[in-house]
Amino acid sequence: MGKAFDSIVFHGKNCDGCGDCVTACVKAKGGSDALSSRIKILPDGAGGFELALCRQCGEAKCVMNCPSGALTKNGDSGVIDWADDKCVNCLLCTVGCAYGGITYEAQIGHVIKCDQCGGQPACVAACPHDALAFSTIAGIYNSYGDKEDMFAPGLSACQGCNSELLIRHTMRRIGPNAVVAAPPGCIPGMGTVGYNGKTGAKVPIFHPLLTNTSSMLAGIRRYYERQGRDVTVVALAGDGGTVDVGFQALSGAAERGEHILYICVDNEGYMNTGMQSSGSTNYGSWTSTTPVGPSLKGKRSDGKNLPMVMMMHNCAYVATASLSHMEDYYAKLDQALETSKNGFAYVHVYAPCPSGWRFHSSKTIDICRLGVETNFIPLWEFTPKGGLRFTLPTENPRPITDYLKAIGKYRHLEPAQIEHIQHLADERLSLLSKFVRDTGARPAAE
Amino acid sequence: MTVQTKPNKVIVCEGNEAAARGVALARPDVVSVYPITPQSSLVEALSQMIADGELDAELINAEGEHSVLSSLQGACLAGARTYTATSAQGLAFMFEPYIRAPGLRLPMVLGIVTRDVLSPQCVWGGHQDAMLVRECGWIQMYCETVQEILDTNIMAYKVAEHPEVMLPVNVCHDGNYLSFGIARCELPEQGLVDDFLGPKSINWHVALDPERPMAVDPLTGGSNNPGPAMFVRYRMGQTESMGRALRVISEVHTDWGKRTGRHHAPLIEEYRMEGAQVALVTIGSMTGAAKDAVDAARDSGQAVGLVKVKTYRPFPAQAMTKALANVKAVGVVDRSVSFAWNGGPVYQDTLTALALAGQRLPIQSMIGGLAGADITQEHFERAIARVFGLAKGEGSTETHWMNEKD
Amino acid sequence: MGETNYLVVGSSHAALEAVHAIRMIDAKGSVALVTRDAHLPYSPTVLPYVVSGRSKPERVALRDEAYFKTMNVDFVRGATLVGIDAKNRTARFEGQPARKFDKLLLATGAQPIIPPIKGLDKVPFHVLRSLDDALGLRKAMGQAKRAVVLGAGLIGMHAAENLVEAGLAIGIVEMQGQVLPGYFDAKASGLIEKAFAAHKVTLKLGRKAQEIKSGAVVLDDGSELPFDLLLVSTGVKPELGYLEGSGVATERGILVDARMNTNVEGIFAAGDVAQAKLFQAEGTGVAGILPAAVEQGRIAGMAMAGDRALKPYPGHVSLNTYTFFGQQAISVGAGVAGPVPAGAETIERADAAKNAYLRLALKDNRLLGAVGINVSLDPGILWQLILRKVDLAPVMDRFQADPLAVGRVLMSRLWR
Repeated sequence: MGKAFDSIVFHGKNCDGCGDCVTACVKAKGGSDALSSRIKILPDGAGGFELALCRQCGEAKCVMNCPSGALTKNGDSGVIDWADDKCVNCLLCTVGCAYGGITYEAQIGHVIKCDQCGGQPACVAACPHDALAFSTIAGIYNSYGDKEDMFAPGLSACQGCNSELLIRHTMRRIGPNAVVAAPPGCIPGMGTVGYNGKTGAKVPIFHPLLTNTSSMLAGIRRYYERQGRDVTVVALAGDGGTVDVGFQALSGAAERGEHILYICVDNEGYMNTGMQSSGSTNYGSWTSTTPVGPSLKGKRSDGKNLPMVMMMHNCAYVATASLSHMEDYYAKLDQALETSKNGFAYVHVYAPCPSGWRFHSSKTIDICRLGVETNFIPLWEFTPKGGLRFTLPTENPRPITDYLKAIGKYRHLEPAQIEHIQHLADERLSLLSKFVRDTGARPAAE
Repeated sequence: MTVQTKPNKVIVCEGNEAAARGVALARPDVVSVYPITPQSSLVEALSQMIADGELDAELINAEGEHSVLSSLQGACLAGARTYTATSAQGLAFMFEPYIRAPGLRLPMVLGIVTRDVLSPQCVWGGHQDAMLVRECGWIQMYCETVQEILDTNIMAYKVAEHPEVMLPVNVCHDGNYLSFGIARCELPEQGLVDDFLGPKSINWHVALDPERPMAVDPLTGGSNNPGPAMFVRYRMGQTESMGRALRVISEVHTDWGKRTGRHHAPLIEEYRMEGAQVALVTIGSMTGAAKDAVDAARDSGQAVGLVKVKTYRPFPAQAMTKALANVKAVGVVDRSVSFAWNGGPVYQDTLTALALAGQRLPIQSMIGGLAGADITQEHFERAIARVFGLAKGEGSTETHWMNEKD
Repeated sequence: MGETNYLVVGSSHAALEAVHAIRMIDAKGSVALVTRDAHLPYSPTVLPYVVSGRSKPERVALRDEAYFKTMNVDFVRGATLVGIDAKNRTARFEGQPARKFDKLLLATGAQPIIPPIKGLDKVPFHVLRSLDDALGLRKAMGQAKRAVVLGAGLIGMHAAENLVEAGLAIGIVEMQGQVLPGYFDAKASGLIEKAFAAHKVTLKLGRKAQEIKSGAVVLDDGSELPFDLLLVSTGVKPELGYLEGSGVATERGILVDARMNTNVEGIFAAGDVAQAKLFQAEGTGVAGILPAAVEQGRIAGMAMAGDRALKPYPGHVSLNTYTFFGQQAISVGAGVAGPVPAGAETIERADAAKNAYLRLALKDNRLLGAVGINVSLDPGILWQLILRKVDLAPVMDRFQADPLAVGRVLMSRLWR
């Protein structure tokens, strides 16, 4: 498995061209003027700024073009290292680079390039506008990448489905000492539980009934605890088996505080069986059982917001997540996994469905992100002790129409329906805000 | 072999408590409970035993019967010996997980404290609940006495977990008459039960265990090979195991009898069938009154016998036809109704068995004891008279509703 | 007879990139890298620096044995390819058993052209194509006082500079009227010539060596250049003798398609031996430069391993970078050395005080080529602007004024 690396990220819209990064670079690396900066900020001619900086490419053309072995990709840091004593100043590296990341500086007499200051880039520290960031998310991906994939290759999820991404990453984290319940739906539908005597997973996995995921897991966990074995029991369940027919078992298990990690992959309907409406389907959605015609305009009631319902069960841990924000999900998964050793942990992951929601399969993560950025899908977590916390609050939300217009199942919406959904999102956020402990809106219970 | 040496500890208890005590002696790992009349005092007794530390088991207070059986199936797949009991609507509510247990080959024991099912709204005894699930692939044994309830619950684990069986077992006892009926009951020693049951053998075939990872219940079937053929093999395996269960049940009863001195008839009990011209077929607690009626009839010189069905699923057809080989007419008394045939289910099974054996004789279905109704000795005396009539070619074989005019 | 799934002959950039690309896709297939050289892989481009002493010969290796072990590649040195049986998929070597192959890559590079000059066969002279050549030249340089370099191409110019730095008196003979013809126009070359003249190098441009006498080169104008060290650097060409009778089609080099496949399916060629598509002209040519070898080697490896991410070779774009006496020269694309193509326009700027010169060639709002002497340019960005045919119309004025900054802005956007 290849390794991912930390990288300097440029948020061009935050850059005002102040040049503090350039000054910091020159200071850190030595040099006389801005020309000797490894980072170059360039006006784009329209009031904005662009960046020329070494991208520390994986398949680096500068390295390939170097005839003297002076440039090498550092397998630990990912930085393209330059060795002064091997460089012959042929400049062929500059032919390879398409980004102006390695340049000849006549005053110094050799090429210069960014070395990320050994992991603490001076430019990032100096940036006063959050235009530069040092992304260390690679570390998380590496730690996940190094872990064993618990599913067979070639699961037959629809093109663009993010559930496969979710379950693979989730089970990499959880590891082999686990039992997975995959109630009927997309997740077993893509082959995780296998067909005709063959399995799709390396962990013990089973089809519970659509209705009894939580109960079966409770029984498994109870017995293993009795045996003194700490086996993680995990539900990878859709919204139908969670919000609708599986709800009684879920509620009961949550009430009893069973030691379960329950992950609901919410694609707002019965997408595996032809896109029928579920209790989680949002108001106005087209589905095959809430169709659009002269008399009906999609679903007529609001979706049941199950994470809020689970919060009211006072579960040991409740969180929402969206795969556009994997770091946020990973942090929540860590916490949920830990919590599930002693209590009920519920993670509700929004899973836009290209097939059922009618959007292009390349747009899934964009839709995930739009959900968050419009506050339609607020990202939060709850513990009985800490109350509710917004993990990635969206301070200047985009209008709900940005989300709705990107999704075909809302194509038919009339202005009043859109207004209703905007209102719903606003109200939901407002209600959730009341559970934030440190606002004083809710008196501390513990 | 551990046999009972000391005098038995004798208690006086109701049938539900006897069931609880039998189950406790089998040392289940996980007990999941949800109350329903007339089962409630059974799970109350188990809960109390766990609370008192008499029984070392995990107690799951589930939010309904569906979760009760589901949680036990999870535990069973992890290797646990499990128990619960239910009645009527509770059984109906757990039907979805209930029907999958045999296919998963889970050796569970589930008590059915029998009761009539809705509607009309009713909370009293009758076999309608247990009989409704007679074709689901569970083994079903019906008890006659409080003692038999205790003993059968222990034997049920041995049958279920037998490697040639690996099927779930219902131990059925009648709501009201047995559940709340108080009687003398001998308690076997724990060591004897431990020795009788031997080591637990729950999930050697199918398991949810990270140390032995496998997919449990992947989709099987469809239109392409090997799906349908594989499904057929699973089904055939179930029916073959049901067939073997008849022998295993007999062996287990024999073994139990040797150890305890209590010899319960394993499949059917033939009562005073020597030289009988006619016979009654009974099931469950009604048998006591029926035997009294048979005794009385014999005392008055009438050659009548009785066949009690203990094991109803699988149906002991061979034993039944053999027992009825020499009678001229039969009355089958059911405490439930088959709406397809306007008769009782045990009647149909008896009829089918005899027909297959080529034994053509008059048989009448008699339905009694619904909704808690009493089937008294007098009812059975009248029944015996009817069957003698049938043997002489008198009267109709139309279904007789015993409590219609009570 | 050895059997190999992927047989790669040669050990420089094209061969190494091919091996890397093959292993990206196929971790298991057997790979052999066979070279006639006795050394670990190195680049011919580094040789002038070995001559000068800047590069230590033991530190120029592009890969070490550990790499081949890790990549499970059978690395065989000292085996010269002598023949190919395309029908039986067999390659024959001198000093090594023949090998059967499924896929074959010919990355055997090019060898120096020895011009037919009278008397050249009678005198000792140097070429500079192998590490052993470089070591020999370096040794000879220490004992010599006067050197003549035949040919003012990159190798000759690099070597001449090194010889100057080593204290030798140098004469350079070039048939064409300027140094580095083909990459730079006369004005650009003039700045380079100026630097060499300043270091007392005798430049004989537009002159031919008529005869080599012992200790002197006689030119076609009758003048003589004395030497005690002679370097012949009049160009290179692929050696194709091993292809005789193989059926593999050649012209100047081995003819390949956009997947680097020769006319025989499964036999590939890349790098200095290959005659491939040109990007800015009709027909094909031997690129003969390192970046092209890298590109072609990678494509060949991908094609050999069946990598579905393969994008066909877009064609060679002329590219060169050159540093001389602390100054730098860059040449990218077309329309910068020879005559201006029809419909193209050129922009020239010179700053005599800084010894700087810039020439841009543009056509239809697209960049054709650029030359810069002592001007900061990103040749990699310019290459991309040409390859991607980026429409410069919206930024044309600014681009002409500051191709460096505007090029960077454009690529920064394209990257995201």
